[in-house]
Amino acid sequence: MHEFGLGEEVVKTVLEEMKRLTPPPRNLRSVRVVVGALRRVSSEHLRFAYEVLTRDTPAEGAALEVTTVPVTALCRDCGWQGEIDEMLFLCQDCGAANLQTLQGMELFLDRLEVEYSDASDSE
Amino acid sequence: MTQVTRSEIKVYRDLMGANAEWASRSRQMLDELGIIMINLIGSPGAGKTTLLERTIERLCGRLRVAVLEGDIETTCDAERLNALGIPVSQLLTGGGCHLEAKMIHRALCDLPLSGLDMVIVENVGNLVCPAEFDIGELAKIAVLSVTEGEDKPLKYPLLFHEARAVVITKTDLLPHIPYHLPLCLDNLKRVNGAIPVFQVSAVTGTGLEAWIEWLKGLSA
Repeated sequence: MHEFGLGEEVVKTVLEEMKRLTPPPRNLRSVRVVVGALRRVSSEHLRFAYEVLTRDTPAEGAALEVTTVPVTALCRDCGWQGEIDEMLFLCQDCGAANLQTLQGMELFLDRLEVEYSDASDSE
Repeated sequence: MTQVTRSEIKVYRDLMGANAEWASRSRQMLDELGIIMINLIGSPGAGKTTLLERTIERLCGRLRVAVLEGDIETTCDAERLNALGIPVSQLLTGGGCHLEAKMIHRALCDLPLSGLDMVIVENVGNLVCPAEFDIGELAKIAVLSVTEGEDKPLKYPLLFHEARAVVITKTDLLPHIPYHLPLCLDNLKRVNGAIPVFQVSAVTGTGLEAWIEWLKGLSA
């Protein structure tokens, strides 16, 4: 995966979302990105990209959490449904290769955790 | 004393958004014109351009085809295909390891679309990145040569999982190399059980007809 390009997309989206918040938050604590295992994103590379790309922006210093979604599939032959090894698209029950992927291609910004200071709220 | 309140804000925003938008724009445009677009993906040297030459020679007179040729550098491939008398555009990524949807959309708009049935995109030689980017194609086709080893479907599962068909090239070399074709086919089955596989040799012509028939079936 292209962690730096993805990092740019994450930072752009985070900054857009932060601008929308009223009142503006005091601080951005963390950002969560959800990634399907089939996307093969390296969390370490993505965190590094995020760190570099947020320097001198309001998103600087926030922790980037990367949540990986395992690959799940449905067997079209026997109806089994569950998690599979991302490499092997084989039914864990009957061994058939006739699987429909249900999860594993996700790639989205899930949530922001922000801080507000109550003093400014009551002003 | 100032108190700090923490708040969690749900966002749910797709991070492939811009690429997906361009891809769907192209898909819709091609749909309306009744043109199908396929995306050939394989390693450098897998034989994508040679497969294209043999494919286009056989499609001529049956389907009107144009090619979008993706490369990091040089126009060699476009020049080879241009010799076949079809519209060819060279897309130079200048270092980029894959083609993206916006680039394809612009290139499509420059083609004489009203006279076409099919656009074949030859992606940049790479088994990883091109598989991750939707360019608005109807089908991704994986091209794998017998000199690359039997394990490639397991090493690059996304491509072989996403592909609608696999073309195994250079089969004329099989008698000369220690390559176990059944193992490769078994590995393909493990990542994509239903995938049609075409074993071809661009040198002898073996297997090309079945591939061409399948390709023609896509546009039917």
